[in-house]
Amino acid sequence: MSDRRPIKISINALGGQGGGVLANWIIKVAENAGYVAQLTSVPGVAQRTGATIYYLELFPQELAVAHGRQPVLALMPAPGDVDIVLACEIMEAGRAMMRGLVTGQTTLIASSHRVYAVSEKIKLGDGRQGTEDIIEAAREAAGKFILADMNEAAATAGTVISAVMFGALAGSGALPIDRKIFEDVIRKGGRSVGESLAGFANGFTHASSQDVATESAAAAGAQNENAAPASKPAEASTVSAPVQNLLTRMKEELPAQVHFTAKEGLKKLVDYQDVHYVAFYLDRLAHIRALDAETGGERRDWKLTREVAKHLSLWMAFEDTIRVADLKTRTSRFSRFRKDVVAGDDQIVHVFEFMHPRLEEICDLMPAWLGGKILSSPMLRKALGILFKKGRRIPTTKLRGFLLLNFMGSLKFLRRGSYRYKIEDARINDWMKSIETLAREDYALACEVAGLQRLIKGYGDTHERGLANYGTLISLLDDIKATPAPADVFASLKIAALADEDGIALDAAIKRLKPGAIAA
Amino acid sequence: MAERSFKKEVEELRIGEGEIFRGEGILAVTKALLQSGVSYVGGYQGAPISHLMDVLADAQDILGELKIHFEASASEAAAAAMLAASVNYPLRGAVTWKSTVGTNVASDALASVSSSGVKGGALVIIGEDYGEGSSIMQERSHAFAMKSQMWLLDPRPNLTSIVDMVEKGFQLSEGSNTPVMLELRIRACHVYGSFTAKENVTPSFNLRDAMENPVRDYDRVVLPPSNFVHEVEKIEHRWPAAVDFIKKNRLNEFFGGATGDVGIIVQGGLYNTLIRALELAGLSDAFGETALPIYCLNVTYPLIDDEVKGFCLDKKAVLIVEEGQPEYIEQALNTILRNGDIQARVVGKKVLPLAGEYTNQVILEGLRKFLGEFAPELVAQNADGGERALAPVDISAISETVPQRPAGFCTGCPERPVFSAMKLVQKDIGKFHVSCDIGCHLFSILPPFDIGNTTMGYGLGWSGASAFNTETSMRTVSIMGDGGFWHNGLTSGVGNAVFNRNDNVLVIVDNGYSAATGGQDILSSRAENKTKATNNPIARAVRGMGVTWLKEVNTYDIGAMKKALKGAMSTAAKGPKVIIAQSECMLNRQRREKPIRNKAIRDGKRVVRARYGVDPDTCTGDHACIRISGCPSLTLKDNPDPLKDDPVAYVDNDCVGCGVCGENAHAAVLCPSFYRAELIYNPSVADRFLAHFRNVVISFFQNWGEAKRARTSFGAQL
Repeated sequence: MSDRRPIKISINALGGQGGGVLANWIIKVAENAGYVAQLTSVPGVAQRTGATIYYLELFPQELAVAHGRQPVLALMPAPGDVDIVLACEIMEAGRAMMRGLVTGQTTLIASSHRVYAVSEKIKLGDGRQGTEDIIEAAREAAGKFILADMNEAAATAGTVISAVMFGALAGSGALPIDRKIFEDVIRKGGRSVGESLAGFANGFTHASSQDVATESAAAAGAQNENAAPASKPAEASTVSAPVQNLLTRMKEELPAQVHFTAKEGLKKLVDYQDVHYVAFYLDRLAHIRALDAETGGERRDWKLTREVAKHLSLWMAFEDTIRVADLKTRTSRFSRFRKDVVAGDDQIVHVFEFMHPRLEEICDLMPAWLGGKILSSPMLRKALGILFKKGRRIPTTKLRGFLLLNFMGSLKFLRRGSYRYKIEDARINDWMKSIETLAREDYALACEVAGLQRLIKGYGDTHERGLANYGTLISLLDDIKATPAPADVFASLKIAALADEDGIALDAAIKRLKPGAIAA
Repeated sequence: MAERSFKKEVEELRIGEGEIFRGEGILAVTKALLQSGVSYVGGYQGAPISHLMDVLADAQDILGELKIHFEASASEAAAAAMLAASVNYPLRGAVTWKSTVGTNVASDALASVSSSGVKGGALVIIGEDYGEGSSIMQERSHAFAMKSQMWLLDPRPNLTSIVDMVEKGFQLSEGSNTPVMLELRIRACHVYGSFTAKENVTPSFNLRDAMENPVRDYDRVVLPPSNFVHEVEKIEHRWPAAVDFIKKNRLNEFFGGATGDVGIIVQGGLYNTLIRALELAGLSDAFGETALPIYCLNVTYPLIDDEVKGFCLDKKAVLIVEEGQPEYIEQALNTILRNGDIQARVVGKKVLPLAGEYTNQVILEGLRKFLGEFAPELVAQNADGGERALAPVDISAISETVPQRPAGFCTGCPERPVFSAMKLVQKDIGKFHVSCDIGCHLFSILPPFDIGNTTMGYGLGWSGASAFNTETSMRTVSIMGDGGFWHNGLTSGVGNAVFNRNDNVLVIVDNGYSAATGGQDILSSRAENKTKATNNPIARAVRGMGVTWLKEVNTYDIGAMKKALKGAMSTAAKGPKVIIAQSECMLNRQRREKPIRNKAIRDGKRVVRARYGVDPDTCTGDHACIRISGCPSLTLKDNPDPLKDDPVAYVDNDCVGCGVCGENAHAAVLCPSFYRAELIYNPSVADRFLAHFRNVVISFFQNWGEAKRARTSFGAQL
């Protein structure tokens, strides 16, 4: 019996990534290099964005000839018996490992980029899965592990990921086939040859230099962490005088551990309103800092002050029409959308905003007495509501749209007298009061309540849903306090509130807390 | 025009004697049909045999030269009925579909043609959609062969064997006057390989000869008394003739050692998987050379009693490797051996699982159990070194991390907004029962839409809700694609609803193609098709059936879609209500438009391309937009604001500018973060002039704003 076994290759890709193209290229390379090549797949509906596998086996033609028979090639990978795995996305490398395809005999070539699954994207908070344990498991399992952002490498070459993976396969040396044979196959393909070859070269380089791969792997690992980026050193020369005063005050009044967050808060609120508003922010923080000192904050790294510094700034910078209009008309935004839509230098780009200001948003801007009056009168609401029934498309790059938004954005001076401001200010005060009361009883719980602001975000219905959930959790505080670990219970309720928008998880969590209770 | 074009590949179909054909399994079958001298081919597309239909559609010229009639049948039933041409005339014909679903639909006609018997070879090529990658209920087509008494071929999955079995299949059919089924599993349909070709054959007796010289034979009609005669004929004539042919032509194969205590009987389609399992166990080499005797059933129905008895006579036990359930072959083997008083034990489902795909790992495990009990010396002999262990990998650390990734609507799919609208309507009026159909729209049952209760079959969406026709405050909604509509839904759904005075709602998703099966043209396709009659509007057919409440809506207009749905759910009008949701399949549209657009851009013409974006500084990271869309290009990105924890929504560069995310933002009153960007390629002089003028004004205000902000600068970029 002959000892020779076929070379087995598995391509683990997503529908639409060109896994089929890659597989066919490998077939041609193998045939040109003197192999009998077989390829199979089970695309079916998986080609519509699902996870899919292409499987190849290569066997030296000369051995088959010498033996006088064709080899019997398998139509699916066997766990523990695959030589090369090409994973076109890092989670697909994980899936390949789960199928047992990656072992000591395997060269695993994976792209570190993420294509998020629907289950990750639909969460109200952050549902993204980290990639660290996949990478770690791959390091452990694979005989050779090549990791790089092949998607990025494709983008820089103006091609698609299949070309880069093809290059990485050639560069990995896992197939005893010359680079030229690979490149000839691309050349014979005839379409976008230049770009494909450039992508191929990128992949080849990534794979043939392990150091590069390791470096970019580390970068990929870090990419998913939500760690706050290191604050850029401010150039003293350009810091304006009023801001310098605020920074000095911040440094005097707040402990160093809070500086990073508070400074971001300062920046946000100066940008949102003005220096007086920031002073107000610092007043509120000073109050919390005193409370924190009183409740042992020093040995807790001033966690409460940090939490409040973060969430207070976010709350005080609540989104209103003025803010949106302001952000939409800035220079920085104009250059950003050009970059986001990948516009060429000589292209003209027009943008149209999808805005749907309702009567509520308009009343928000009015003086408190007027806004309140309209919103509390069903008749006025109905009569005026008709005007704001339809969504609008505002052409921000045309004068009509720009001037309208620019005008709206300039109305900051109305903000602190507006109806919305009055409401938000009252909510913030209530929130701070509960934090104050709680901090004296249960420091950890107070920190959790400080973080509850995370639930309140968005506009319209989204904002109302978040606010309702916020209210529900606050109203449950007494019950939560009665449990053995209130802060943990509160944290888990917060997670439940962010799990789905119909409140199913939250209702279930509340039921566990208060059997027989009906969710608010 | 189908999703994949085979214009290049079909040229391979012309190659002649001795040349090497390279390609996919299903292409090889097409070539084999031409080599066999078929007169007609029909079928209905569906994975894994869609490509067979697509290849034939692209090969009209070659088919014309060979005088072959190709029909893209309206359904599998229509395709099966086509085989009637082989009942009276010596015409070879083949039909194909996805099985078992297609065979279910075809079974009426299949039973009839099996009863009548055939004069010309009749081949039914079925793509057995079982195991990984399958999208249908897990059943076996084997039962259909048994109940109608058609022969079932299950060739070894290499192109040479498959092609050979197509040719032998026609001969077997003619030799036993019985239609023959050729079963190909998913992977075999898609397997790329090669075989040595033969010349294509033009039939000596063709369709025209038959039509101009009609023959009538009352004995072939399924009516008394012939129907009773047919049954006897099946037993007394056709079965023995088939057994004779199979034996003489050695359709089944014997491999491995000639003798031994134990042996393996395997379905031909599983042969390669078995050999790999043996190889992993150290009992075979890469060429399939093994000491274990193997009896390979390239014909799984009928079984050849003499061959079975001969193989088992000297054996203590045989392992039967038979995928799926019930274990028809195992039962039959036991009957044969019992009747022949042969004592060999038949071991099958005792060591192999009853349900599920037989992968090499599954077979290896079964093999170990079998050998452990009946030939422990073989196991012991290879215990050291011979056997490569299937290394267990510890996946506990990552099994929680790797997300499920089911199929979903493509980027820009026109069906997505239908379900966005439906989700929004449910928010307004409450949940309702939704009866689904077969097609891309069935992805609605998955997140983020989670819409749909049942799916009963192709075109059966509305019938699936027909019981719910009673006085109620909440109507039901049924879904049907245009593919399903023409396949069966017009009569079983619409006709049924009209006749029974149904008061519920049907949404027909009219995207212009049979999209899920690969974008083939159908009656209502807007595209011109050289060989088929398209442009027959669904609305006309629905009205013709007697429906009076009918709305046609552009799917991308979510507001209008919502309004139409709400209207249908709340109208006082009694009777069936039909909404036709129209927009072209985005895959097809892109394939058609992109090359034209790219050429125009290259030629320096002014082109406007739209796409969408999200502003990260106004996005609050709630992802409500994703929950009513699920668009692959609408994804996540780290929040640029260091104070915010949740990632922001982001439209990646695959965006095709369908506008659903923006429309959703409007219809659901979501947030002001979405924008539509219109990129002007090769702008005109007027464009440039206007842009310059606008720039001057806008920059003035922007600079003013920047100067104001500079007064409170932090020194670094905000």
